[in-house]
Amino acid sequence: MIKLDANKIKEDFPFFQKNQNWVYLDSACTSLKPKQVITAELDYYENVSACASRSSHSLGRKATEAQDSARARVASFINSNQKEVIFTRNTTEGLNLAINSLDFSRLGKKKIVTTVLEHHSVLLPLFNLRNKNLIDLKVLECDSEGLISLDQWNDAINSNTALIVTNSSNNTLGTSQPTGEIAKIAHDSGAFICIDGAQGVAHQKTDFKKDDYDFLCFSGHKMLGPTGIGCLVAKSDLQKSMKPLVFGGGTVKTVSLEKAEFLENYEKFEAGIQNYAGAIGFGVACDYLKKIGMENINGHEKKLAAVAIRALEEAGALIYGSKEQKQSALISFNLKNAKPHDVALMLDKFNIAVRSGFFCAQPAMEAIGAKEGAVRLSAYLYNTEEDLTKFKEILLKVNELYS
Amino acid sequence: MTKEAFNCVFRTITLRPCDTDLEQRIKAELVSAVMPWSITLAKILNKNFAVFSWLFVILTLASLGYMLYGAYNFYYYGNCDGPTATGACILNDLTGDYGRFSSPTELIPPTEFNGITVGPEDAEITIVEFGCFTCPYTKQAESIVDSLLKQYNGSMRYVFKPFPLPNHNNSYQTALSVLCADKQGKHWELRKLVFQEQTLCSVEGSTAIEKLAVEAGLDMDKFNSCLNNQNTKNELDLYIQQGKDSHIYATPTFFIEGEPLVGPEPISDFKKIIDKKLSD
Ligand SMILES: Cc1ncc(COP(=O)(O)O)c(C=O)c1O
Repeated sequence: MIKLDANKIKEDFPFFQKNQNWVYLDSACTSLKPKQVITAELDYYENVSACASRSSHSLGRKATEAQDSARARVASFINSNQKEVIFTRNTTEGLNLAINSLDFSRLGKKKIVTTVLEHHSVLLPLFNLRNKNLIDLKVLECDSEGLISLDQWNDAINSNTALIVTNSSNNTLGTSQPTGEIAKIAHDSGAFICIDGAQGVAHQKTDFKKDDYDFLCFSGHKMLGPTGIGCLVAKSDLQKSMKPLVFGGGTVKTVSLEKAEFLENYEKFEAGIQNYAGAIGFGVACDYLKKIGMENINGHEKKLAAVAIRALEEAGALIYGSKEQKQSALISFNLKNAKPHDVALMLDKFNIAVRSGFFCAQPAMEAIGAKEGAVRLSAYLYNTEEDLTKFKEILLKVNELYS
Repeated sequence: MTKEAFNCVFRTITLRPCDTDLEQRIKAELVSAVMPWSITLAKILNKNFAVFSWLFVILTLASLGYMLYGAYNFYYYGNCDGPTATGACILNDLTGDYGRFSSPTELIPPTEFNGITVGPEDAEITIVEFGCFTCPYTKQAESIVDSLLKQYNGSMRYVFKPFPLPNHNNSYQTALSVLCADKQGKHWELRKLVFQEQTLCSVEGSTAIEKLAVEAGLDMDKFNSCLNNQNTKNELDLYIQQGKDSHIYATPTFFIEGEPLVGPEPISDFKKIIDKKLSD
C-alpha cells in the first residue's frame, strides 16, 4: 500500500507556486527543492554564516554542530556511520576521489571492472587512469534490453581485480542492478566495490552496511537537496589508506616545513572552507525523503512509469531498455522520424520539461541502440498522474507532426 | 532570441558556425505557435521547415530589394513608387533647391492668374495648375485636364504655371519651349508632343525639343529667338517664384478656386470640388 499524496507534496515545492503550468519531468538531471531545504540553507546564511570546525566563537560552534548534524542525517539515510561520510561537490567529485584514492601498485593488482551503462563521471576518471597505464579496464557489455547478468560479473571478477565501479541504478534506462550481490562477488575475490548512487540513492532505499559497499557516491541536488553538495561514503578503515584529491586547510593535525600529519576520516578529504549551507540543506533533504519513505516514493514512481509507458506506446514511441525491470520513473524514448532534440523543444513550448541527447552516457546510449540520442522523461515524488496526462496530450500532438 | 539570431548572422558572415541550436528552437517556436490553430498546418510547416525558411529568406531579400528600388526611385523620380505610380513628383532635399514643404495644409493659393491660360477670363471657376513637363505625374494628369476643359467648357478658366523641378533633367529647357510655343498660339501642339516624348526630352534636351517644335509647326526663327530672350526666362522664373510662394512641394498641384489638390487624383475628386464651387 503506497502512502504518498503527490498533490500534497507539491505544496511543499515553491517552484510549483511560481510556475503553475509547468510539468517538470527532468528530475534525473536535477530535482526540484522543497521549502524545508531552501529555508534551512537560508537560515544558515541569515543566522550562522560562520566557519565550522575552526572558530571557537559560538557562531563557529553553531556551524560545526549544524554540519555534524547534517552529516549524521545523510549517514542515517543510507545507514552508514557519520564518520564515513565525506562531503564533496557532487557525485562526480566523489567518484574522482574514490577512483584516484587507491594505490594500485601497493595493492599489487590493477584490474578494474565497470560497465558500458555508466555515466561519463565513472568512465572518464577510469579512462584517465587507463591512459596513464595505471589500470587495466574491463567494460561489461549489456544485452539488447540494457541488462547485465550476474554471470557476466562472476566471469569478469577474479583475484586480479582491484576495484569494481558501477551504478546501482542508471540514468539512461532507469534499471537497477543487484549491487549487494555484485559486492559479494567482489569481496569474495578480494576486490573493492565503488557504487555510483547518483540515481539509485535518490530513488531506492539504499543500505551502505547491509549491501556492504566500500564506496558510495551520490549528489544532493538529485534528491531534493541543494546543488554543489554531494558525498562519498567510504568505509572507515579504508579511509586510512586513501589519498586525498585536494590538499589544504582543515585536513591536518600538525604541519611543519618538512611534513604534515593528516587528520583521520572525512576531515582528511574536506580541504578548505566547505559548503556548509549546502550540507545543511542536504541533511534536511535526506530527512524529508526518509519521512515520506523510500518504499512509498519507489511505489509511486513505478505507478507513474506504467502510466508514462502506456502514453508512449499509444504514440508508437520506441522505448529503450527493459520495461519490466524499470525501478524508477525514468524512460528514454524516441518518436518515429523525429529528432530527440526537436521533440524536447516542442514539449518545452508547452511547458513540459524533459531532457534530450545522450545524458552524459554516450557509450550507454549507443549500446542500447540510441545512436542519435533520445528523449528522457524522469518523474519524482512530486509528479502526479495529471502531469502525465498533460504530457500524453502534448506528446500525441507532437507525434502527429511527424506521422 | 533576437540577440542570438543577430549573433548567429554575425558568426555566419565571419565564417564561423552558430554555436546554438537556434534553428531548431526557431522551428519549435513557429510550429508550436501554429499548432493551436491547425495541427495539419503545423505538420506541413514542421515537415517542410527548410523550404519555408528559404521562402522567408527569399521574401526578406525581395523586400530588401524593393526597398532599395524605392530609394532609387525616390532619388531619381522624387517618389518611391517610380514613374508610373499614382502620386506626385516630390521635390526633395537630396536634389531639389526650392526648399521644402510637405503637406497640403501648408499650401497657399496663388493670387495672380498669369501663365498659359485657356478659357474665358470671367469664368465662374478658375483652375490653376503648377506642373512640370518632365514629371510623369503631370503627364498623367493631362487626361484629367482635357476632360475637365471639355466638360466645363465656358464656365472654367484654366491657368497653367510651368514649375520645372530641378531634380528632373532638362525640365527648365522644356518649360521654356512650351512658353515660347504659347507665344505663337501653339502651346497645346507642342505640349502634347512634349508629354508624348517625355523621356526623350529629359534625356536629350534641346535636340529632342527642336525636332518636336518643327513637328508642331512652329516658326523656328521666332521660336529660337524666344528661347534666347531673357524676358522669357524672367517670365518662367516668375512662375517658379509664384510656386515657391505657394509652398509647392510636388507636381502637379492644382488649385480649384483656391482649394488645393496634389497629384493626379481621381477625376471624381476634381469634379466634386468644382461642382461644389459652382453650386455655392
Ligand atoms: C548515474 C549518474 N552518475 C553520475 C552522475 C553525475 O552527477 P553529478 O553531476 O551530480 O556529479 C549522474 C548525473 O546525471 C548520474 O545520473
